Amino acid sequence: MSLVRLETRTEGRVLVAMLNGEIDMSNAAGLGAAISNQLSNASLGLVVDLTEVEYLDSAALHMLFELRRRLGTRGQAMRLVVPPGAIIAQALEIMDVPRTIGVGETPDAALQSLLQAVPEAGSPAAPNPEAEH
Amino acid sequence: MQGGGEHIRQGGPGEGQEFLGIGPDESTDLAAEKVTHLYRLGDPALSELNLEQLLRELLNRVREILQVDTVAILLLDERREFLEARAAVGIEEEVERGVRIPVGRGFAGRIAAERAAIYIGDVEHAEIVNPILREKGIRSLLGVPLIVEAEVIGVLHVGTLQPRTFTNDDAVLLQMAAARVAPGIERARLFQALEREHQLAVALQRSLLPEHLPDVAGVTVSARYFPARDEVGGDWYDVIDLDRGLVGVVIGDVVGHGARAAALMGQLRTAVRAYAIEGMAVDVVLQRVNRLLQTIRLRGMATAAYAVFDSESGQLSVASAGHPPPVIVPPSGDPQFLEVDPGPPLGAISHPSFATTTHKLTGEEILLLYTDGLIEVRGESLQAGLDRLLEAARGATSADGLCRGVTRALVASADTEDDVALVALRHTAIPDELALTFPADPTVLADVRQMLRRWIHQFGAGREDVGAVTLACGEACANAIEHAYSPGRASFELEARAERGVVTLAVRDSGRWRPPRGDNRGRGLMIIKASMDDVEIRPSATGTEVLMSRRLRG
Repeated sequence: MSLVRLETRTEGRVLVAMLNGEIDMSNAAGLGAAISNQLSNASLGLVVDLTEVEYLDSAALHMLFELRRRLGTRGQAMRLVVPPGAIIAQALEIMDVPRTIGVGETPDAALQSLLQAVPEAGSPAAPNPEAEH
Repeated sequence: MQGGGEHIRQGGPGEGQEFLGIGPDESTDLAAEKVTHLYRLGDPALSELNLEQLLRELLNRVREILQVDTVAILLLDERREFLEARAAVGIEEEVERGVRIPVGRGFAGRIAAERAAIYIGDVEHAEIVNPILREKGIRSLLGVPLIVEAEVIGVLHVGTLQPRTFTNDDAVLLQMAAARVAPGIERARLFQALEREHQLAVALQRSLLPEHLPDVAGVTVSARYFPARDEVGGDWYDVIDLDRGLVGVVIGDVVGHGARAAALMGQLRTAVRAYAIEGMAVDVVLQRVNRLLQTIRLRGMATAAYAVFDSESGQLSVASAGHPPPVIVPPSGDPQFLEVDPGPPLGAISHPSFATTTHKLTGEEILLLYTDGLIEVRGESLQAGLDRLLEAARGATSADGLCRGVTRALVASADTEDDVALVALRHTAIPDELALTFPADPTVLADVRQMLRRWIHQFGAGREDVGAVTLACGEACANAIEHAYSPGRASFELEARAERGVVTLAVRDSGRWRPPRGDNRGRGLMIIKASMDDVEIRPSATGTEVLMSRRLRG
């Protein structure tokens, strides 16, 4: 049985990556690569849903910060989904993640927060400068 | 001889003429000699031969008796549309080239269709489908149908390179030969088909049982499978390593035997596995499998029990679809049946519901799942079999020991008319103090966490305690793995003890503590410090030790 599962879907022009299981130094790098491979330049951003994640450590946080950094260089936004009372909240709090990456309690809340942060999201007709080449 | 075969006709351009009386009959002596020859075809020895040998022997004897140049046997295919050359002497190419003659056409095809002997005086003037007969220069042909229980199963025909007028005696002789060998051919053919099916089913079933049981941390599993003596059964078991310290165990028994039961078993095994790894509850898994079974053609029925064991808490959940009850075996005292509400067998009704039974398995208890082949003995009540099982299970202290004891007492003496499967599961004992050595490989981290969660559970740790201690320990272990300078051989140690509500962990590696470099390791140390009350890093000449403790909040 694999330690973690990744399921992705798109909500409009946002990639939603749902993780399920445990993330540590044995699988964090692979997960990060798998997620960024699915991100297109035309995407507005990424929501990483951690609702079903039961464990994550510093290697997982490193992977999340790395994703955030790469998205930032392309003008894309990123949000996490962490439900209230989640066991992984401890680790996220310690590293101040909710303030640096931005967290929603539900996928919807995270998605809305992300769309508000991206200027062109409000006007679907507006061309995405990244998408043109 | 069946009625249809007695009608002898002559083929050729003016087909349909009576054959009887066409050729001059031989002297009585000669005919008698031939009949004696013929009886050799009824040799008991022939019945011992397999189909190929039987056909070859038959052809040689017929050729000798009738003094012909060629003899061939064609058998009807399964759909009874074509005759296929199965054996030949003198015209071996018929078999090699895989000659197929449509029933009703040509020489052999008409014999099968009309169930009558046919004689062709000159091949040049007859409708011949089989090109080989002409190529080989065969001039005259005589053929009869092979008939078993009023069914044509094939054609036996002889040929000569010189024109020959086959006599009535020849035809009778050939018909007698056909009548003698046809049942033997059919028997051998049926046997061969059954044998093939049996071998196929055995291979199929073998391929469907797990080759080895998964290594699940915190759990010891042992299993056995005993095939039935003569038949292929539909028993199966599977052990499924689920997420988060959960392990699924399933046992099942498809009603019926043979290749179909084995094939259905394979489908059910995959179905259970598919729903199980989605993390569905035990009763839901059985419900889904039942629904899936409704969609399978020739669906059949099966009994099954599915259990999920939580290796961290010791909690066991079981649901049963008409399956015999699981047994719980304590280290001393009486083994007991776990009172599981047996729902209907899988495939029995459209919308069944299954009950979930839970049981907290102590560190010493063993769970046993089995199929009814273990307890059912012909001429004995079911209760007697169940009683004997409890008796045989008494006193077992390991999963493997339980399988061995039960096998010795119940399987060895049984007739094995039915196949038998059993699976035993035991919680691996967890000591009060941990002192473990792990290879310096990131893949061990998940096992370390699982072991630690189980260990800390027994001291009344709350959810947050478990999360914090696991996280701190995970970081310290990850650090030890990163320090390892020769991957593959290097290892690290973990010690854990609890005293008056305070857990203390020590993680020791043989590398030197590196000051935090980059954000990543700095984060690891921050996480450790935030999760534990006291943290001490002790570098030494031989390695680095991270010592940390936390008072359990509960």
